[in-house]
Amino acid sequence: METNGHWEPPYIQPHRFGAINKFGKRSVKDNVVTEVFGVSINDLVAQYGSPLFVLGEESLRANVRKIKSCFEQRYNLCAHGWSYKTNYISAVCRIMDQEGSLAEVVSNFEYEKARALGVPGARIIFNGPNKSQAILERAIAEGAFIQADHMEELRKIEAIAGKLAKKVKIGIRLNFDTGFTEPWSRFGFNLESGQAHEAVKYISRSQNIILAGLHSHIGTFVLEPRAYAQQVRIMCELMKELEGMENIEIQNLDIGGGFPSKNALQSIYLPPEQAVPKISEYADAICESLLEGCKYRKEMGKDLPRLIYESGRAMIDESEVLISSVVGTKRLPDGRRAAILDAGTNLMFTAFWYNHPVKLTREYFGIEEETVLYGPLCMNIDVVRNSIQLPALNAGDKLLIANVGAYNNTQWLQFIEYRPNVVLISESGESHVIRWAEDLSVMMAQDNVPPHLEAKGKQRKFGNSSLTVLRPAASL
Amino acid sequence: MQKQLAELMTTLNKNQRLSKLAISEKGFLFDPETGQSFTLNYSGMQTLNHLKRGESLEDTAKHLADEFKIPHDTALNSIEAFLIQLGRYI
Repeated sequence: METNGHWEPPYIQPHRFGAINKFGKRSVKDNVVTEVFGVSINDLVAQYGSPLFVLGEESLRANVRKIKSCFEQRYNLCAHGWSYKTNYISAVCRIMDQEGSLAEVVSNFEYEKARALGVPGARIIFNGPNKSQAILERAIAEGAFIQADHMEELRKIEAIAGKLAKKVKIGIRLNFDTGFTEPWSRFGFNLESGQAHEAVKYISRSQNIILAGLHSHIGTFVLEPRAYAQQVRIMCELMKELEGMENIEIQNLDIGGGFPSKNALQSIYLPPEQAVPKISEYADAICESLLEGCKYRKEMGKDLPRLIYESGRAMIDESEVLISSVVGTKRLPDGRRAAILDAGTNLMFTAFWYNHPVKLTREYFGIEEETVLYGPLCMNIDVVRNSIQLPALNAGDKLLIANVGAYNNTQWLQFIEYRPNVVLISESGESHVIRWAEDLSVMMAQDNVPPHLEAKGKQRKFGNSSLTVLRPAASL
Repeated sequence: MQKQLAELMTTLNKNQRLSKLAISEKGFLFDPETGQSFTLNYSGMQTLNHLKRGESLEDTAKHLADEFKIPHDTALNSIEAFLIQLGRYI
């Protein structure tokens, strides 16, 4: 038996017979990586610390271009809306802007961020159920394309448009049953119950708003391309019906997102290489259905609507990794190996539903065993991988956790631990910090301690002093 | 714990129980008395081989400490914990 000199306490494991796994043990021992996006993992950790998010610009741009090309080859008039909530680190949003994507935002904050990053209002699609009066006024004045979620929002938009004496083109979000996915019926206007028609009637009677878009989103990590074909069919039928009844011309047909990435959902046994269809299969299903549904327009000599897709996860998930270090190891009472990492569900919210691929960063010898990877939180649920075949890890060893680009840099938690640096490897191979690691000043910047709670003898300097000044007088 | 270890070593040495264990060079362990088989990791295999040769816990710990360049106490603690685990199976 070989050893590479790394100490692991002696251990004996009884052989258990009869527990059959038809997929066998998937070994990671042969899957050693020492570089990520062309840069040494050890060098990156030495420079930026651990844990560390690393994003590959070349990989991201290549993936975005591949997906866009899939759609553009099949349908002339396409636009991609970059779903900000997937990853709204500023550098990421700038890359997507440079790649020609619209900004798809769903909140005041996301709208303001897109504008602050230089995206003109006319290149913003504004979705979401909670748009304040103030942000709607700004979005309308700046020419953003708003897709309304409910009647109260429609009334607000109409009032604002009236006040500005503008005719505002908007879209409405729909929800309906495709028969493939669980309907997301809490968002938008329901088609089957007549709410969607009610909204259309309301808009038709308005002097200030014009219906120019239909929007729907059928779910997330949708593994069945036919679901999109059905979605587009339903939307086209509604479009045809509306254009026949009212003085309406739909310019945007927005199908939302939900395309899967090459991550492994915990509930699915098949590896993603088998379970996840190619993006071209989705593009085929969507564009064929769209061309079929728009035949009537061609016959009438009218232009086809613009297809908007708001893919986030499929664009970026595979272009970002998380480097994490082992801080301790132990044997669980049931005999399984366990390792504690410096990154857990605080940084990888998606570990709750994915089995993220884990790669070793040095060669190992010895027996691979079922191992649990825990994060650093004082919470039992902080599990990165519940069961993975790994050799004996040592404190200080680094692991590379792949496919973390979607929803982690936005849904990560400021809980117990500081959030680490996020580094971009540029196309020329240079590394740039695109989000600095947090420290105590960041964590305390928003705190304010009333005078009667201040520690005696302590100078009252809390967080960012300029922010403190902005607090209401009562709290100072 | 020392009393538990002493009793365990007595049991393992009784009727040459320890020396009868068959250990392959890859860490496969077969217990001919019960018919059960086990896998040992490298340090577990080294530990058992030393003990089978009649070496003391102290001497075995010294071998491991030298080989892995770890403190003697660390090696000894781990060996004692390993023996308690072994006692549950053999």
